[in-house]
Amino acid sequence: MRIQFERSGGFAGMRLTATIDTDALAPDEARELQALIEAAQFFDLPAVITATTPGADQFQYRLNVETAERRHTVEVGDAAAPDTLQPLLRKLTTLARSARGA
Amino acid sequence: MTFRSHPIHCITPPHMLREIAARGSPAQREWALRTLVVSEQLRGQRLASFGVAALAAPVAAGKERVVYDAQNGSTLPGRQARGEGDPPTGDKAVDEAYDGAGATYDLYQQAYARNSIDGNGLRMDSTVHYQKGYDNAFWNGQQMVYGDGDEDLPEAERLFNRFTIAVDIIGHELTHGVTQYEAKLMYFDQPGALNESMSDVFGALVKQRLLGQTADQADWIIGQGLFTARVQGQGIRSMKAPGTAYDDPVLGKDPQPAHMRDYKNVPYDNGGVHINSGIPNHGFYVTAREIGGLAWEKAGRIWYVALRDKLQVRSDFQAAASLTYQTAGELFGAGSREQQAVRTGWAAVGLNVEAPQPQPEGCLPALLRLLSLSPRRG
Repeated sequence: MRIQFERSGGFAGMRLTATIDTDALAPDEARELQALIEAAQFFDLPAVITATTPGADQFQYRLNVETAERRHTVEVGDAAAPDTLQPLLRKLTTLARSARGA
Repeated sequence: MTFRSHPIHCITPPHMLREIAARGSPAQREWALRTLVVSEQLRGQRLASFGVAALAAPVAAGKERVVYDAQNGSTLPGRQARGEGDPPTGDKAVDEAYDGAGATYDLYQQAYARNSIDGNGLRMDSTVHYQKGYDNAFWNGQQMVYGDGDEDLPEAERLFNRFTIAVDIIGHELTHGVTQYEAKLMYFDQPGALNESMSDVFGALVKQRLLGQTADQADWIIGQGLFTARVQGQGIRSMKAPGTAYDDPVLGKDPQPAHMRDYKNVPYDNGGVHINSGIPNHGFYVTAREIGGLAWEKAGRIWYVALRDKLQVRSDFQAAASLTYQTAGELFGAGSREQQAVRTGWAAVGLNVEAPQPQPEGCLPALLRLLSLSPRRG
């Protein structure tokens, strides 16, 4: 499974990106990501999830997940992300931060 | 009971409704108060205790702040940590959020006679210690929220301090609230970049006023102090020289343009609202330097009055140039030094303040004509 992660916006307006190939991860970590994607029901999410509430300086995410069978992209703001998606966003942010500048 | 119905459907800004409530005929007062009650802003929980009658009286409430602690969780607002008039708590984030909101309130009240975020004494709520390793601050439509930076990383790897550390960040977030109640600039593309710029402008002015700096003395850097010593950079953005605030091996380079020719049409960041804000930021900087003196007094006044009275949901950079130029003429006189400075400021970023643009009659002027009221001036 291949994941492309992008976080943009926020007060600082910086772009944090990461490409994760689960084959290259430790088995535990790969399983954790798989579970988070399932918990989020990722492939059933709309392509774009926008917030209806006002707000500013919140993070914006773009997530592309590709398996052998299918591929899906979701664009979502932090405020609009469903609770079931938040853990996946947190995990990917942590991975992207560790890989940053490497 | 009669209810005046209008053929014009629009959203009358609260400050205009309050003027009508205070000065109109009995029928106009009744309509304005009724409209205020149903307006979305009044559905906020903090105003639930206000009776409609209270709105007709002068507002006694002044600066009112509450700071909450999210205790590293995501639930807002969190546990109350400090209320208005309470002594410092010793928690830096709490105390900085408290002081910064106060300084921002003071700028708006003392320089522009504005009573808080909504112009009507709205309580200023802030939450600190939001989540863990949350390298951000934001306005959620009702309150300010601040993270602690990347405190979850080992000291040697940290890049961001807590987001209350710089007063201009607090001024920036609170100003998103002001914009939400006034121009309501939509948070995408050029209007969004303008929205962002307004927050940087007034955030910078809060800081300059606290430090007693003139436009020449100020550094015009947004978010100085936010980066740890590990980062190669002065701050998050530079209004004086967009694109030069930082250049770091881990974080990358400041992406801001300083001129329309370098406008970035990007698919992320709501169309680059934090990127293209460099253009109007620089326009304000040049205007303020041209005028000289204390930037919040004249340049800031022009920008504030334009934000309050002229800019609209879809206003783009060209509209901002024309409307700030118009506003400067109204405040300081046509052909005045101040108005010319606005022309110079926008010309420096590639915009002509007198470029022709379509001007359909707005909803508000039409409504005012119907009520036989003239528009309030600066």
